[in-house]
Amino acid sequence: MPVQPNNPMPPDPRNQDEEAPSSGRYGSEVGSDKSLMERVRVREQQAMAEIFDRYAGLVYSVALRVLKDSSHAEDVTQEIFFQLWRNPDSFSSSRGALATWLLVVARNRAIDHLRQRRPGVPVDEVVAESATNMQSEAERSIMMERVRGIIDDLPQEQQRSLQMAFFDGLSHSEIAEKTGQPLGTVKTRIRSALTSLRKRLEQ
Amino acid sequence: MTDAQHIAQDDLALYALQTLSRDESAAMREHLSECAVCRAELARLRGDLAMVALSVDQHPLPSGARERFAQRIGLSPRATKLAEPVPIYRESRFGRVAGWVGWVAAAACLIVAAGLGFEVRSLRARLLDKNSRIASLEASESRAKQVDELLTAPTAQRVFLTAPKTPPTPSGRVVYLAPRGALMLQANNLAPAPAGKAYELWVIPADGSAPIPAGLFRPDAEGNGSLVLPPIPPGIKAKAFGVTLEDSAGSKTPTAPILMAGSVPQNGG
Repeated sequence: MPVQPNNPMPPDPRNQDEEAPSSGRYGSEVGSDKSLMERVRVREQQAMAEIFDRYAGLVYSVALRVLKDSSHAEDVTQEIFFQLWRNPDSFSSSRGALATWLLVVARNRAIDHLRQRRPGVPVDEVVAESATNMQSEAERSIMMERVRGIIDDLPQEQQRSLQMAFFDGLSHSEIAEKTGQPLGTVKTRIRSALTSLRKRLEQ
Repeated sequence: MTDAQHIAQDDLALYALQTLSRDESAAMREHLSECAVCRAELARLRGDLAMVALSVDQHPLPSGARERFAQRIGLSPRATKLAEPVPIYRESRFGRVAGWVGWVAAAACLIVAAGLGFEVRSLRARLLDKNSRIASLEASESRAKQVDELLTAPTAQRVFLTAPKTPPTPSGRVVYLAPRGALMLQANNLAPAPAGKAYELWVIPADGSAPIPAGLFRPDAEGNGSLVLPPIPPGIKAKAFGVTLEDSAGSKTPTAPILMAGSVPQNGG
């Protein structure tokens, strides 16, 4: 696609005087995660609803992928956000970005639900570090596309081991049994897949 | 599982995935409680796992999920529910219980009357609620009218305020007509694009498919740049737009960071 020449249509001078568009002006994503969580801590229900609007779709999609049942996936989603409302201090910025933290908690809670077991790791012990910013819809969409591309590029056997461990919640011995591969190979494939993903995202 | 100092990477990944046995997890937990290096690596691994989670196809929430959550946190109490109609069961045993028919009928009438009375009270409550909402909407409409008059008044003065000595923030405005694939972008306050680079606009489709390149541009000396009717396939419903810096030949996928982004309002306006 050719680069359009410098300013083919001069801007309306009035624009210089107008408010700089923010994501909030163009859409519904007004507050930062940090400011919303501060409002949640003082029991502002509207702020909690905004967090739900922003991230419930992500959390639900992860839970649905694991549980393959919309009703159970919604239960997990509702519970995660309700727990956050009841105990906002279970998350703090020292545990990573809110979206990253929610994604990890969503997967873990969905696997707990799948195995019908008590939560493995309390949410307030989950720390997930990532440089990725996913506060706006555009940032999330672009990052999703990028991650999908990277995972598609992984060797098939790495993809399979990672998906069996992550989405099916299988242990490395269960994966080894299913695939007929040695335990060590399965462990290495999972770790290699995660290492490749990290390196590609850091590029 | 752990070497002299730290947990092996392979095992730490399995711990992050919560796929180890209780005994194995307990041993690792003990080490993690004392080892900042392993804790930091575990946090990074969980960040990697969050990215794996991000790769799933996106699905809309089930209908009513938002309302159920709002109600759960007490955001909007559910409207008063109408009383269920009281079922009246009539058994045809006239011959044997003829003497009780009158009493049964009277009791049934009382139950129906009680039910109707309750329903009337519920309807009154709903009516009051509706009236209150209408009044609220009228007030909102009046305010909206005042806002509209202010914004469209030719004599209104328009001043853009910023913090002193703060460099102007890049901003952009997109006008998009999805059925025709027609788009215009006006961007301001952009830094000059480095040699061999250009800004690229992306349409983020609402159906979750890959971002679509929507044109390359370079700003002028004042930092203003525009795109006018770049070639975009018609009929792509957008949920957001983003601008990135790419090679001047353009890119098939956007390169982080996103320099400007904006979501389409939910009402599509």
